[in-house]
Amino acid sequence: MLHKRKAKTISPSSRTTSAVFEPHLHADKQLLIDVDTVSVRLGNEKALEGVSFCVHTGEFIGLIGPNGAGKTTLLRVVLGLLRPTSGRVKRTYTTIGYIPQRAAQYNATVPISVREVVELGTGRRDTARVDDALRAVQMQNVADKRFNELSGGQQQRVAIAKALAAHTEVLILDEPTTGIDERSQTEFYALLRDLQQRGITIIMVSHEVDTVLSLVTRVICLNRSILYDGLPQHFEADKYLPAYYKARHLQLHHHHEEHHA
Amino acid sequence: MLEILQYSFMVRALLAGLVVAVTVPLLGSFLVARRYSLIADSLAHVSLAGVGAGLLFGLTPVFVAVPVTILGAILLEWLRQNRRISGEVSLAILMSGGLAIAVVLANFARGANTDFTSYLFGSITTTAWSDVWTLIIVAALVMMCVLGNFRALLHIAFDEDSARIAGYKVAALNYLLAALTALIVVLSLRIVGGLLMSALLVMPVITASRFARSFVQTIGYAIGFALIAVFAGLVIAFYGGVAAGGAIVLSALVLLIGAMILKG
Repeated sequence: MLHKRKAKTISPSSRTTSAVFEPHLHADKQLLIDVDTVSVRLGNEKALEGVSFCVHTGEFIGLIGPNGAGKTTLLRVVLGLLRPTSGRVKRTYTTIGYIPQRAAQYNATVPISVREVVELGTGRRDTARVDDALRAVQMQNVADKRFNELSGGQQQRVAIAKALAAHTEVLILDEPTTGIDERSQTEFYALLRDLQQRGITIIMVSHEVDTVLSLVTRVICLNRSILYDGLPQHFEADKYLPAYYKARHLQLHHHHEEHHA
Repeated sequence: MLEILQYSFMVRALLAGLVVAVTVPLLGSFLVARRYSLIADSLAHVSLAGVGAGLLFGLTPVFVAVPVTILGAILLEWLRQNRRISGEVSLAILMSGGLAIAVVLANFARGANTDFTSYLFGSITTTAWSDVWTLIIVAALVMMCVLGNFRALLHIAFDEDSARIAGYKVAALNYLLAALTALIVVLSLRIVGGLLMSALLVMPVITASRFARSFVQTIGYAIGFALIAVFAGLVIAFYGGVAAGGAIVLSALVLLIGAMILKG
């Protein structure tokens, strides 16, 4: 039979509410991902060129950049879904979780329950672990609902629960809050910060630059190659993302004028 | 009503129908979830080519159709995975290509044993005991494969990328699912007929999805609806003297319309 790679085992005695977070409670900074001069050509187009960076435990990396900068491509390379044309990626994590853009998920014609989605993370029937994971994202009350009956924000929380149930060490998110109302967004970001504090390493692509800057421990700005890689407080949005900055500035200016009118 | 059980061909047809009604929606749930329901139609047409060849060369049609259809399934999956041509195009090519070969071969075989129409639309009188036993053995094998890889197949059906990330052998499992579909399609030919195959695969699943709250429930309900459709269809075929496949699929359609009215 074609079975899954053996997952990390936990002793039954440690299966308490916090068990879903347990494997990550070490404080030392380990190297998890080493991206070494990666280039990707998609057809005739250079999607990525000479991209290098390392990811260590406990980091919260915001990956930003203009449309078509190769952000999703880079995520797919890191995840091993796409082989780079040149360069290599060294992975030393045990489990990685991927939350793609919302629309892509579980909205097929055939129903799937919230519990079943989270169970996909465990790879076997493990009610306790699924319940723990759902409780951790405050979704235990909707366990038996159909996944596609949930709001966008709730769906993303369930996706997080799936990653927790899989004992995910590294969590990769691609614009997770697109199309989600503002309140749910705030709650979702708070949840991410909570996960990071519990030791889960996060890499997130987002267009909401201001939010990213206030949330993450490190910013990588990409436009086919890396333009900036460093602390969020030193990132100059007007320099690296002029188009975004201009639009934002205009918007603020507009607001300002409206206010005065 | 019970008088139909006095006819041994009806007993065989009902037994075969029972097995078909359990296995087809089980596979169908995975195929519909991954938006690949037309594969059954394409494979059924390919299997008809195998039947045509069998009739022409005087071999047992099913035993020719099985390898031919499995090869067709592997080819389809290979085309899909390697993106040589898009999924729907490869389905369309195999569908009409298979039927074209089937028709030509069946024409050549004319004069020999030409019960080709019964493979197109299904028939209750032509199912032999050997057909029933073969069907039961193959169905058991298919169910074991599906249940043994249930979580992996579920993961792939709803989220292929993350199944790959989780370490499942996605390509191999996709070939497995295609091959299992091929097997069931060939073995169900006698009852449902090649031209009506995908209806039985899809309709009970869609009907079930109106009521179910989970994937497992969907499978359960779909099997229930398929059983109703198959038994109703066989009884109608017996009393009405119509093709079994047509009667079965019409029953499934009535259930689906009923569900749509009930659960808008």
